[in-house]
Amino acid sequence: MDYFKARVAATLAGTLLGVGPGMAAADVVAVVSAKCPVTTLSKNQVADIFLGKSTRFPDGSAAVPIDQAEGSPSREEFYLTFSGKSPAQLNAHWSKMIFTGRGQPPGEVANGADVKRRLAENPNAIGYLDPALVDARVKAVTTP
Amino acid sequence: MSLDLARIALLAIALHAAGARADDPAAPLFSFRGFGTLGIAHSSDDQADFTSSPAKPYGAGFSHAWSAELDSLIAGQVSARLGPRFSAVLQVVSEQNYEHSYRPHVEWANVKYQVTPDFDVRFGRTVLPGLMLSDSRKVGYSNPWVRPPVEVYGSIPVTSNDGIDAAYRMPMGNATNTFQLTVGRTDSKFPGATSEARQLAVFVDTFEHGPATARLAFGRARITLPALDPLFDGFRQFGPEGAAIADKYAVDNSLVNFFGVGASYDPGRWFLMGEWVGIDGHAILGKKSAWYASGGYRFGKVTPYATYSRAKAEGLSDPGLTLSALPPELAGPATGLNAALNATLQAKVVQSTISLGARWDFRKDTALKLQFDHIRVGAGSSGTFSNLQPGREAGARVDLFSATIDFVF
Repeated sequence: MDYFKARVAATLAGTLLGVGPGMAAADVVAVVSAKCPVTTLSKNQVADIFLGKSTRFPDGSAAVPIDQAEGSPSREEFYLTFSGKSPAQLNAHWSKMIFTGRGQPPGEVANGADVKRRLAENPNAIGYLDPALVDARVKAVTTP
Repeated sequence: MSLDLARIALLAIALHAAGARADDPAAPLFSFRGFGTLGIAHSSDDQADFTSSPAKPYGAGFSHAWSAELDSLIAGQVSARLGPRFSAVLQVVSEQNYEHSYRPHVEWANVKYQVTPDFDVRFGRTVLPGLMLSDSRKVGYSNPWVRPPVEVYGSIPVTSNDGIDAAYRMPMGNATNTFQLTVGRTDSKFPGATSEARQLAVFVDTFEHGPATARLAFGRARITLPALDPLFDGFRQFGPEGAAIADKYAVDNSLVNFFGVGASYDPGRWFLMGEWVGIDGHAILGKKSAWYASGGYRFGKVTPYATYSRAKAEGLSDPGLTLSALPPELAGPATGLNAALNATLQAKVVQSTISLGARWDFRKDTALKLQFDHIRVGAGSSGTFSNLQPGREAGARVDLFSATIDFVF
């Protein structure tokens, strides 16, 4: 019971401060192409692009989200950190979007290396990576 | 030509089966998906059927102590990408319908034109977006509960609109505001009646900020219920008093206004949501309101939740024709008319429900839900029940147990 209370309190506190669960473990960062002018996005803005609620970066240019394969650790970490959603919640979200004709889930690639390849090809693409995989073709977006 | 199209369609389906996604350059032209619910419900009330929608003639209770007809449904949806800006959706649903068959009906059939990335227009049959979950009310898998609260969602049993629907999304820094306007008309069938809605217009404003969503909706329509005409024709034969009753209650191109407000907060571990709706403008269709509040906490794959919902309404009875003023040979028919009018008015829902349940996401794309409802029906109302038996006590207390498996494919 105390554990439950502590957890609810922590979640509430985290929400009020604008930080999501998993904030401490920065095992995944949002990345855009090195050619993309975007440098900063809030967690909400990143989440909205990946959840189909937004199709653009704040400067108005098109944003094309790239997912990693279902079940990959980066993917779970990414959605938990940026949107607070577990894989099951994400499925429920997309079932809602698909069956109302509101959108389709992001295109997906097999792994981090493919994310970088896709970002190098498309300056409008946005993905997520293990920070250790970030190289000159992509840049991590800071999320204040 | 048509052969080529068929080949392209087959190729597209094959690509889809191979895992291609819509945003890919090699995305399919057509994709097929579906959703469904297998459900069973048991009611403690054997003198009436609990129903989840006024469109369903049978439910759990009197007809069957255990009913699979309350929540079960299956639906398929074909989506087509017709070009960079055009797309189309066809959704067909099979569920218990007004004539107690499972004949599939077309729930949506529309073409969407993406004018800009933030502005789209849809033509054809789309959702009637009165409530927060209107879009997904039939997709059990996307909702936390066994079924959306019947007090609120039963108050707007019409789910689709034939016409035009436009949505404009306005990014506002960290937040998004979306305006949606739907205009059109729709005919909806209920057991023994068809409701004709004309000059239908709904305006919705949705504000989303991260896990928070707030929503306002206004709607209006002119409704005609021809099934009630014989009743009011009967009243009109009883002089000025009868004509006054008919004028007050006849549903003939009658204006109905709707207002709804809702909010939800879902940061991930838990959720809270609530909605209030008010319907005004006509003696039978209006003068009613309903609300619910619900919350849940996610323990891994298991999400227990609780909901309280309540509907109230005014004008559930009418003294009708004054029998003492009539010659004896007319008293019999007048009594019959008065009874029929009052039975119609009693169908307005005064009811509250406490629901406790849990959702278990036990495998991918599949969830099991168990729910217990304690329902209190207001005196003088038949609540969300059908097939009321003559001996049924007023102000019933009913316990309902439901289990569903929701899936998407």
